[in-house]
Amino acid sequence: MNVKNIRNFSIIAHIDHGKSTLADRMLELTGAVTAREAKEQLLDSMELERERGITIKASAVTMQHTYEGQDYMLNLIDTPGHVDFHYEVSRALAACEGALLVVDATQGVEAQTVANAYLAVGTGAEIMGVINKVDLPAAQPDVVAEEIEHVLGIRGNECFHISAKSGIGVEELLDAVVELLPGPEDRSDEEPAALIFDSHYDEYRGVICYVRMFAGSLKVRQKIRFMGTGRTFTITELGKFRPQMTAVDELCTGEVGYLIANIKQLADVTIGDTVTDDLHPAKKPLPGYEPPMQMVFSDFYPGTNTDYPQLRAAFDKLVMNDSSFTFIPQSSPALGFGFRCGFLGLLHMEIVQERLEREHNIDVVQTAPTVSYEVLTKDGAVKRIDSPSVLPDPSHIEELREPFVKLEIITGTDSIGGIMKLTESRRCQLIKTDYLSTTRVMMEYKAPLAEIVYDFYDLLKGISRGYATMDYEFMGFEKSNLVRIDILINKVAVDALSIIVHRSNAEARGRKLIIKLRRAIPRHQFEIPLQVAIGGKIIARETIKAFRKDVTSKLYGGDVTRKMKVLKKQKEGKKRMKSVGSVQIPQKAFMSILDTSD
Amino acid sequence: MGGVSLYLHIPFCVSKCGYCAFYSERVCGGDVGAVVGAMIDEVRGYRSGLEISTIYIGGGSPSCIGVEQLCRLVDAVYEHFEVCGRVEFTVEANPGQVGGAWLERMKGCGVNRLSFGAQSFDEGELKLLGRAHGVEDVYAAFELARGAGYDNLSIDLMFALPGGTVEVFAESLDAAVGLGVEHVSAYSLSYEEGSDFMRELLAGRIERVCEEVDRAMYERAIEVLAGAGYEHYEISNFAKAGFECRHNMAYWANDDYIGIGPSAASWFGGKRYTNVADIGEYVAGIDSLGRAVAESSEPTVIEVACETAVLNLRRRAGIDVHEFVKRTGYEVFGLFGGEISCNAQAGLLEVCDDRVRLTDEGIMVADRVLADFSVV
Ligand SMILES: Nc1nc2c(ncn2[C@@H]2O[C@H](COP(=O)(O)OP(=O)(O)OP(=O)(O)O)[C@@H](O)[C@H]2O)c(=O)[nH]1
Ligand SMILES: [Mg+2]
Repeated sequence: MNVKNIRNFSIIAHIDHGKSTLADRMLELTGAVTAREAKEQLLDSMELERERGITIKASAVTMQHTYEGQDYMLNLIDTPGHVDFHYEVSRALAACEGALLVVDATQGVEAQTVANAYLAVGTGAEIMGVINKVDLPAAQPDVVAEEIEHVLGIRGNECFHISAKSGIGVEELLDAVVELLPGPEDRSDEEPAALIFDSHYDEYRGVICYVRMFAGSLKVRQKIRFMGTGRTFTITELGKFRPQMTAVDELCTGEVGYLIANIKQLADVTIGDTVTDDLHPAKKPLPGYEPPMQMVFSDFYPGTNTDYPQLRAAFDKLVMNDSSFTFIPQSSPALGFGFRCGFLGLLHMEIVQERLEREHNIDVVQTAPTVSYEVLTKDGAVKRIDSPSVLPDPSHIEELREPFVKLEIITGTDSIGGIMKLTESRRCQLIKTDYLSTTRVMMEYKAPLAEIVYDFYDLLKGISRGYATMDYEFMGFEKSNLVRIDILINKVAVDALSIIVHRSNAEARGRKLIIKLRRAIPRHQFEIPLQVAIGGKIIARETIKAFRKDVTSKLYGGDVTRKMKVLKKQKEGKKRMKSVGSVQIPQKAFMSILDTSD
Repeated sequence: MGGVSLYLHIPFCVSKCGYCAFYSERVCGGDVGAVVGAMIDEVRGYRSGLEISTIYIGGGSPSCIGVEQLCRLVDAVYEHFEVCGRVEFTVEANPGQVGGAWLERMKGCGVNRLSFGAQSFDEGELKLLGRAHGVEDVYAAFELARGAGYDNLSIDLMFALPGGTVEVFAESLDAAVGLGVEHVSAYSLSYEEGSDFMRELLAGRIERVCEEVDRAMYERAIEVLAGAGYEHYEISNFAKAGFECRHNMAYWANDDYIGIGPSAASWFGGKRYTNVADIGEYVAGIDSLGRAVAESSEPTVIEVACETAVLNLRRRAGIDVHEFVKRTGYEVFGLFGGEISCNAQAGLLEVCDDRVRLTDEGIMVADRVLADFSVV
């Protein structure tokens, strides 16, 4: 197909504004799926996506559309909206010339609308404003159009009004995509250059690379080279997502599809790498991507029914379908061998943990998530610390730095007061306030990541009755007055429970923590002291009293079945514990640090 | 020993005690005759000539339904089963409900052991418990029983009552010992689901004694009774030499037993089953189907092994490794090696003379230890 007749675009939006639903309608209208095959959010194929009703992974799909008597090939990439998955959005955008920025007509511009629009601007994609859900009685397309114009500089009167659900305006939108979005640059005469923008692993066929052809073409049986890693392979299959994988003989300039080349390890493929011909390579690789930045870290240790090799094998597999989390072996005196894992955010962490459980039948003991810190040691070296337990002795530390982010909150003006209080208590610094309209405002802060990454979003939602949205972007590390709190259980420091906190609330956090632990750890035969220490100095103490008597007085014939049940339950409970010294600690206790509520 | 243990549940009381969660109805309203009749039919549903080694009539309050009804039931048992010559035959008796004639008649029926639900020798505590008798009734009943020739008497005592103290409990212990009773069962009050006490507790109108006091009382019982020549042979049971309750020992050995009457449980022919806890349904079930089972299960061999271990460990003698393998087919150390060693290390179990048993400390926290044996 002529390069001029190709349009590549991503659908981007805030969470739940209707990206995947719009993709559904487009697939239907272009005949990519028949009415019989159709189901809601068809591209959300992962079990977890369907259950949670959110998109986690971007999906690409190729459609055919006729406009003014000519056939066009449309390649659409549906993207996730959640802040944790911005990286997926950037990757998708890099493979496209255009973006449909969808905004919910009942909600207006929200935090991820702004963030994703900026991403699109950053990649140079042509943005089309799409106001969705106009079928709803509460829709205010004109107000929303004004907001879009005011905040994002996209002309309000050029926005498309659609209902992804009922299909209103979608046919016209397809035409507009052809008409308004630029086609790919015609570089068909050059050496092949294809951007790997995603991948997944198939048990039987190995790694499947999602590629966007920027120059030249690729054919089956061609010998290819990955320019970043230098590895070479022979293409065994090329194809397109229609939306099911459909083999083709050739992928040409401008097209989007997949490539299979008997690649057995994901390590051989780097997302963002350039595929070219082995003998006649492209002059220079495509720009590629910055590697994703892990924002939170947590240790995963094998739980009761899992061992270390099983956990390792599961991670090896999982990373093949999600290259944005990291795991490195780690051992803890308290918990044995496990992995320190890095995630894009808490939702990402939750999803990895859930996938381990479901897809790999693995149970884990997880430590509370933490952000990473930077240490400037006395000898002038700068080190990244993503586990409190490996923080050097205070006497070797010149300076401790914590990550700061640019935090954007969009909210109704009535909750400004509550939000100011919250942000103040979380050491956030207001940079500027911008009114989107008379009733909605965007506030920009400089905030310590550690203060906003855990429970902040929930609190924000609470304060604003669900209306506020937030987004953040990493800025850099800055010196901060931080200390490490150590927790001693029965006089033994439990490394997995250490946390790094700001000096100003160290004592309060420590105290809360041991109160939580006191409730979470069952009584033992002996008294268990719980202590909070900073640099060896005890600053708080709680005690778990010993149990003195636990015996059923009466057990005769009629009670046997019932009693056995109770005892079994008691034993099951014991099994889900980790022993640290002579103390049995329930797995949930390790997570209690996370919970900063009272 | 051979033979099966037989339990007969009399589901009637004069009034319900606050702590009790056993199934019973008020004797006045309930149709005693119909229930006893159904129980007789239930007995007859079993193979005739079955050898019975112990009989225990409990409740409820067996002594409240009138001696004629009891005798009718017992006669049917003797008639249908083969009751062994040296049967242990216990009847639970409420002080205040038994007179000389009753004792005579029961003796005539073959009863050779009485278990008195005395609970306490403190008037205040008896009132709190909702017992219908007073302290004097206990002494009187005891004297009458001795007079009638009963030489195997047991007394139930209860401790850790709301507001209870070690001193008051110690007085009850001394009183029991002073009577020269052959057997004492000492129970820590447990708050049973559905009992008045549980409701009161939840409503905050009564308060549990603290664990320390509960333990101190239990330790006192062990100390006083041991000092008076009673052997502590099971968690809550103490007996002079040769007076252990054979019927209950059968439970803890995991031997077979048959329970007759509403809510009674059986472990017989490889099945555990429990009758409905409702006299109307019970009578109707027996009348129409010959059975009134509400729940039944067939434990697997491994479950039987776990049950056996749990029950055996309640005995001070613990698990006898030879007896265990004979009964269950499993080597106890093979099945519970890890559980035994870690509890032994914690000082809660000891292994000696081919036995695995709770230590003195282990008894105090027996449930924690037993939980480890409840499933493999
Ligand atoms: N009434 C109405 N509902 C819509 C419309 N478009 C989407 N929805 C509903 O909005 C909800 C979210 O739609 P999705 O398509 O999953 O949104 P999304 O943007 O893909 O969400 P994420 O992938 O989680 O970011 C679903 O319940 C849809 O049915 C619309 O035009 N009208
Ligand atoms: Mg979606």
